[in-house]
Amino acid sequence: MDKKLNIKIKPIGLLDIIAFTKMVKKRTSIINAANTKPISPSNVNINALLLHPKKQIMKIVEVIAETPKVKTFVLKMVNDTLPAFFRAGQYVSLKLKIGDSIFTRPYSLSSSPNDSKRGVYTITIKGADDGFFSKWALDNWKEGDIVEVSSPEGNFYYEPLRDSKFVTGICGGSGVTPFLSMAKAIAEGNEDFNLTLLYGSCKECDILFKNEFDRLEKAANGKIKVVYVLSDEKLANYENGFITADLIKKYSKNSPYSVFICGPQVMYNFVSKELSTLNIPHKYIRRELFGEVKRIEMVNGYPVEHLNKFYQLKVNYFGGNTQIIANSNDSILVSLEKSGIKAPSKCRSGECGFCRSKLVSGNVFIVPDGDGRRAADKKLGFIHICSSYPISDLEIELPK
Amino acid sequence: MVKSHFYDAIIIGAGNGGLVAAAVAAKQGLKVLLIEQHNLPGGFASSFVRGRFEFEPALHELCDIGPADNLGNSGKLFKDLGTEIEWCSVPDAYRLIVTGKGEEIDVTMPFGEKEFIDKMEEYVPGSRAKTEEFFALCNEVNSALTYLAESKGNPNKKKLIKEFPNFLRTATYSLDRVEKAMKLPEDIKRILNAYWCYLGISTDRINFPLFATMFIKYMQRGAYVAKNRSHEISSALEERIRHFGGEILYNTKVEKILVKDGEVQGVITDSGIEIACKHIISNASPHVVYSSMIHPADDVPEFAKKSLNARRVAPSGFCIYLGLNKTKEELGLKDYSYFVYPTMDTSKLYESMKSRVNPLLQATVCLNNVIPDCSPKGTCIMSFTTLFAENSWDDVKPEDYFREKTRIAQNMIDYFEKSTGIKIKDSIEEIEIATPITFAHYTGSFRGSIYGYETDSWDSVLPRMMMMESDVLIKGLRFAGGAAFRTLGYGSAYLSGETSALLTIKDIKEGKQNG
Repeated sequence: MDKKLNIKIKPIGLLDIIAFTKMVKKRTSIINAANTKPISPSNVNINALLLHPKKQIMKIVEVIAETPKVKTFVLKMVNDTLPAFFRAGQYVSLKLKIGDSIFTRPYSLSSSPNDSKRGVYTITIKGADDGFFSKWALDNWKEGDIVEVSSPEGNFYYEPLRDSKFVTGICGGSGVTPFLSMAKAIAEGNEDFNLTLLYGSCKECDILFKNEFDRLEKAANGKIKVVYVLSDEKLANYENGFITADLIKKYSKNSPYSVFICGPQVMYNFVSKELSTLNIPHKYIRRELFGEVKRIEMVNGYPVEHLNKFYQLKVNYFGGNTQIIANSNDSILVSLEKSGIKAPSKCRSGECGFCRSKLVSGNVFIVPDGDGRRAADKKLGFIHICSSYPISDLEIELPK
Repeated sequence: MVKSHFYDAIIIGAGNGGLVAAAVAAKQGLKVLLIEQHNLPGGFASSFVRGRFEFEPALHELCDIGPADNLGNSGKLFKDLGTEIEWCSVPDAYRLIVTGKGEEIDVTMPFGEKEFIDKMEEYVPGSRAKTEEFFALCNEVNSALTYLAESKGNPNKKKLIKEFPNFLRTATYSLDRVEKAMKLPEDIKRILNAYWCYLGISTDRINFPLFATMFIKYMQRGAYVAKNRSHEISSALEERIRHFGGEILYNTKVEKILVKDGEVQGVITDSGIEIACKHIISNASPHVVYSSMIHPADDVPEFAKKSLNARRVAPSGFCIYLGLNKTKEELGLKDYSYFVYPTMDTSKLYESMKSRVNPLLQATVCLNNVIPDCSPKGTCIMSFTTLFAENSWDDVKPEDYFREKTRIAQNMIDYFEKSTGIKIKDSIEEIEIATPITFAHYTGSFRGSIYGYETDSWDSVLPRMMMMESDVLIKGLRFAGGAAFRTLGYGSAYLSGETSALLTIKDIKEGKQNG
C-alpha cells in the first residue's frame, strides 16, 4: 500500500501509546482491586464428578436368588450418597480382589436410572461354566460385602436423535439385563420409546424377570412388549426355536425400527446372519459388547499355531518393570491380572480404550471385532491389552 | 528396579501446553515427569471412536502451522521437535451464514490476502481500500508481536515507535473500537469478524491485537488439521517425550503441589505418592492450582487469590459429533467450516451464551471436506460447536442432564438444517454430545472452560506476556496451556508450553549458579 497507515483511537494518538505503556500497571491494579475470598468449586466440576465418579464404593445390601445359577445383587453406596445417574443400558465395571490379584468384569445395570436416585444399583450375575469372575461372585458375595464399582460406562442406550422410536430388542441369557433397565426407564417415564423385546431362553425355567416384565408391560401403556422365545421347549404363549428373520419381522411392525442386540457371541453370530437378509441400514442395528473373548481359537483369523504357548512378557510401569510368563490363550490383560500386576480395564472388549498401552516390542493378535483403537494409535504401536493376545515374546509399557 | 523419585521438572497435565513443555524440557536434557489424570495424552486435543467413526473432539483448524516452505510458529515447533504428523490443509477460510431478518449473509471466504480482499470486493463492491487497510494493520500488529516475542521482553522503544506506531496505538483496544476508528463499513465488518467465536468473547471486548494476529495468520498460511484427528498430534508429542527420555504417568492426578518458604518442593498424587521436584509447569489453570492444589493452602500468595476473583473464566463448549450414513455430496455439504449466526451483533450472541435456553451461535464443520477418507466409504463426519459462558450449566441436575443434552443438540441441528437447507437428521448413524460437564470431566478444567481466561484488553496476550515473570508467584511454578500467558487456542498453548519449558531451564541454570 502506498498510503501510510495512520490509525489512532483517541483524537491524540499519543494517549493511545501511553495506554500501551501502562498495560502492566492497569492489569496489576485491576487484580489488586479484587478481593481475596476463596473461589468455590464450580457446579460444573461437581456435576462432572457426580456423573463420572472415578470409582464408587458400594455395599451389597441384598442378594436375590433368581434361579439356581443366577443371582441379583442390590448395591448401595457405603457413605450413603447416591450412586451416579446413568442411561438405561449402560454397564459398570466391578472389581474383585483375590489375594494379590485384581480382576474386573463389566455388568449391565439391571436397575433403572430412577433407582439410582433412590440410592440403588442392581446387577444380575449368571454363572457361566467358564466365567471365573461370575462363579467367584456367585459363590462368595454376600450381604454386607463391599465392592468397588466403576462409573456407568458404555454406549448401548436409546438415543432419540439417532434411533427409531420403535426398538426391537434381541437378547439371550443374562443379556436381558440392560433391557430390564430400559423397560423400567420407559415405564417410569425416563425414556420415551417403544420396546419390543425378543427374549431367547432354552426353557421356561431359564427365563429371568418374567414377573417384573409382566408388571412393566402393564405399567407402560403398550410401549413395552416382551416375546419369550424358547429353543428347547414348546409351550403355549411362547415362541419356539431361535430368533430368526421371520420372527424379527413378525414383531417389528413399524418402519423404520432399530434393533438392539445383547447376548452371547453365538446368539449374535446367528442373529447377524438373519438380520443381513432384512436389509436394515447399519444405523438401525446396535449391539452391546461381548466382553472378553472366552476361547481365542474360535475367533476368525487367529493363528492357531500360537495356541497353548507360553511367552515372556516384560511389563514396564511407573517406578519399575517385571517379567512374567504369559499364556497365549489369555489376553495380555488377563495375564497381568493373574500375575497380580495392576492394569487398567473397563469394557474388556477392546472398545473403550481405558487399557491403552504401548507395545514396545513383539507381536500380538488383536480380536478384529474388538479393535477399537484410534488410527494414530495403530500407527504408533499402541494396543488395547484387553483384546490383544501374545503371539511372541513381548515388552509393553502400561499407562501408570 | 525402582526409579528415583526426583525430577528436574514435573509437568501437570498432558494438554497441548503440557505436552509441548514436557517435550521441549526433555529434549533439552531435563529429567522430566509428565503427570496426567486421564489415560490419554492431549486433554481436549484427542479423538474418540464410535462405531465406524473416529471423531475429532475439539479442533476446527490450526492457524499457525503453514505449508512446508512457509512454516508458522507451531509448524516450526513441531519440526524442531521432530514430530511426525500428517497435516491436511483446509480449503477455504469459512462460510458465514447470518440468518436474522435484514442481516442475511451467505458468503464463502477464501484464505490468502489477495483472494480474501478480492472476494470481499465481490460481495461488498467498493470495499477494497478499506479491507486492504485492515489487512495492513493486522500485518503490522503481527510483525510487532513477533518482534516483541523475539526481544524477550526488552524491546527497543524507538524501533517500536518508528516501525509499529499503529500497533502501539491499537494495542489496548477492542476489535470494535479499532474498526470504528478505521471507519469500516458495517458490511465489511460483519464478514471480517466471523472468526470472533474462536476467541469466545464479543467483538466489543476482544483485544484487537489478539484477533488481528489470529486473522492474519489464517490469511497468510491457511489452516491445517491432523489427518488422524488431534490425537495424532498429541500422541506424536507423547512419542517425542519418551524419545527424549521423559516419563509419563497416566491415570494419575496431582492432588497437591508442596510449597515451602514460597518455593516448590514437589507434588503428591492421588495414589498418595510424593514426588520431589523444584520446578513445575502446570497445564492445570491458575484457578485449579491456586484454589485447591497448593499445600499448605496458606502459602497461596494474596495476588494469586485476588487474580482468581479479578480474571474471568472463559466459556466452555458444547459439541455434537455426528457420523452420517451418507456422503457429503449426497447431503450437499460443500464446505468445511460453517459459521452460522442469527446476527453479527456479537454482544447479543455472547449474552445468549449465559443461558442454556437456546444457543444462538454455531461453528460447524464437515471433516470430509478436508480429509475425504476420514470416514468409511458412503459416510461423512460433522461436528457442531456452540459456547456457554459463566454459570449457564450450574443448575443442571444429573437426572436431567441427558435430556438437556439431547434438547440442545436437537435445536442446533434444526437451526443448521433451516439455515442451509441441508437435511442431516435422517442420516445420523452415530452421535455423541459433549457439554461443559464432559470437558470438565475429561480435563478437570474449571467450569469446563475450553478457552482459559477471557481476553479483554487488560488481560490479553500483551499484558500477560509483559507480566510473565511477575506472575511467577511461587518460585518454581510456571503455567502452560490456554490459561497461560499466550492466551487461548492450540497454537498459543503450544507456544506457552515451549516458553515455560525454556524459562524453567533458565531458572534451573540460574539456581545452580546462585546455589
